[in-house]
Amino acid sequence: MAPKKITIQAARFDPEHDERPRMQSYEIPFSDDSMVVLDGLNYIKAHVDGSLSYRWSCRMGICGSCGMMVNGTPKLTCNAFLRDYWPRPVVVEPLNNFPVIRDLVIDMDDFMHKLQSVKPWIIRKEEMPLGAAEHIQTTSQIDDFRQFSQCINCMLCYAACPVYGLNNEFLGPAATALARRYNLDSRDQGLKQRLPVIASSEGIWECSFVGECSVVCPKGVDPAKAIQQTKLDTTMRFVLPYGNRDPEPPRQLEAEEA
Amino acid sequence: MTGEAIPSPHKGEGKGEGSSTRVYRRPVPAGWWARRSHYFWYIVREFTALPMALWLLWLLIDIRSAAVRPVNFHPQTSIAFVAFSVVCLAFALYHSFTFLSLAGVIIHVKVLDRPVPSRLIVLSQFALWAVASIVIGFVLIWFAR
Amino acid sequence: MSEPAHGPAGGRPHAGKPAYTHLFWWFMFAQGGVIAAILVPVHILLQGVLGPLGVVDTADRHYASWNTLLGNPLVKLYLLVLIAFPFFHFAHRLRYLLVDLGIPSARGTVAQVVFYGAAVAVTLLALAILLTTAPISLG
Repeated sequence: MAPKKITIQAARFDPEHDERPRMQSYEIPFSDDSMVVLDGLNYIKAHVDGSLSYRWSCRMGICGSCGMMVNGTPKLTCNAFLRDYWPRPVVVEPLNNFPVIRDLVIDMDDFMHKLQSVKPWIIRKEEMPLGAAEHIQTTSQIDDFRQFSQCINCMLCYAACPVYGLNNEFLGPAATALARRYNLDSRDQGLKQRLPVIASSEGIWECSFVGECSVVCPKGVDPAKAIQQTKLDTTMRFVLPYGNRDPEPPRQLEAEEA
Repeated sequence: MTGEAIPSPHKGEGKGEGSSTRVYRRPVPAGWWARRSHYFWYIVREFTALPMALWLLWLLIDIRSAAVRPVNFHPQTSIAFVAFSVVCLAFALYHSFTFLSLAGVIIHVKVLDRPVPSRLIVLSQFALWAVASIVIGFVLIWFAR
Repeated sequence: MSEPAHGPAGGRPHAGKPAYTHLFWWFMFAQGGVIAAILVPVHILLQGVLGPLGVVDTADRHYASWNTLLGNPLVKLYLLVLIAFPFFHFAHRLRYLLVDLGIPSARGTVAQVVFYGAAVAVTLLALAILLTTAPISLG
């Protein structure tokens, strides 16, 4: 039986020579049903065309590096099986809504800037010295934010979001979900510091709940839910008479109890 | 990468920060919402506002019609109006189903330290819709004489 | 950690203060959306379809009963809520629909004045109509 083949059409862009991106077709052996699109790209780079540029790392859906458009859908290429597309050609393009640096590599500076702006780390009014005590947190308290902590910063949600596509100033799904992850963390006291960014004119209010971000998220973070809940919580803070109060600080473990 | 494009807020090529090569900014195509079913139904959902607004404007006219002299009072019977209402009803129902379903996403409450399942919240919204409709329907029909 | 001098996307640091007007319009959008969702369909079904078809007899098809109903202050209040709140929902949604369809100026102040101003105008119109049609009586 003749070995199976599959065609990968990859976007190419050389900033020094190309006016705009173009497509290049590669026919490669489809030898194993467990092959993913990333395997196909690696085969092309290793055996056919070493100039093809793209990002990847773990190959197992946890690092978030290999996000690209596969047949028009933002996907982790390590998580897109060739068998689901064969025998039709697989069109691989750089992640939507980001500037293209080269071939399938996008400029992610905007996302990094937005991520940093929401201060995605535990903020305490007063830092506890290391070794003094632990932050006690119940399972229920962890469950409050667990889902939003699953984000691997792969930016598929930004590629899926038409609001971000039309307005690059929009804070975007992942940044807002991560802001919420920390705002809901019982150890955190930084809500007031994050509020000016998430509730700004380019923050949550620009979201019109298309919901595609949550559809494409490979880790089930549901950033759309995070944004809508943030809208409601933020509004309630200003509407309710006891709004704007910081959450209770978690119980501190006494040094003797440690 | 073909077709008419919506102008990007950053026209033309710009420099990537900290690099000396140019980046290529792909514009969003004007028909972006027609290319995927999920985007299309999202636009339909947003569009429901227009027929609903038009029908409510008719309701204002209907209210005002009570002010004419009894001899000039003529309730609506035209088939064109019925057709218009049927279309508006379809859009209104789509709005109700989508909006009340999404309420389960946005409303998060904890009872006795456990989150209330979103299905229950959605169910309560639809129950509210049913009760309100029954009460209003009753009033509209009961007072007809 | 050093902050970049300017963001790469727009050339300025990410906006840094809560947008209270956006918050308010979103709140009105949410309220109006719920009210539109639970109250409007039955009115369209009965007063727009089944009533005119003659399948069901509704109060607005008879001069006396429509006036009786409209004379009740609670009914006037209900109708004001039925019309006013959803219009703020419609205004917000249609404004952002224009943004989605590629008209970024719909995000600006002029568009806000036009759309929310229209909702205010409809509210005032509804108030005027309800107050001048069928004088208040508790009959």
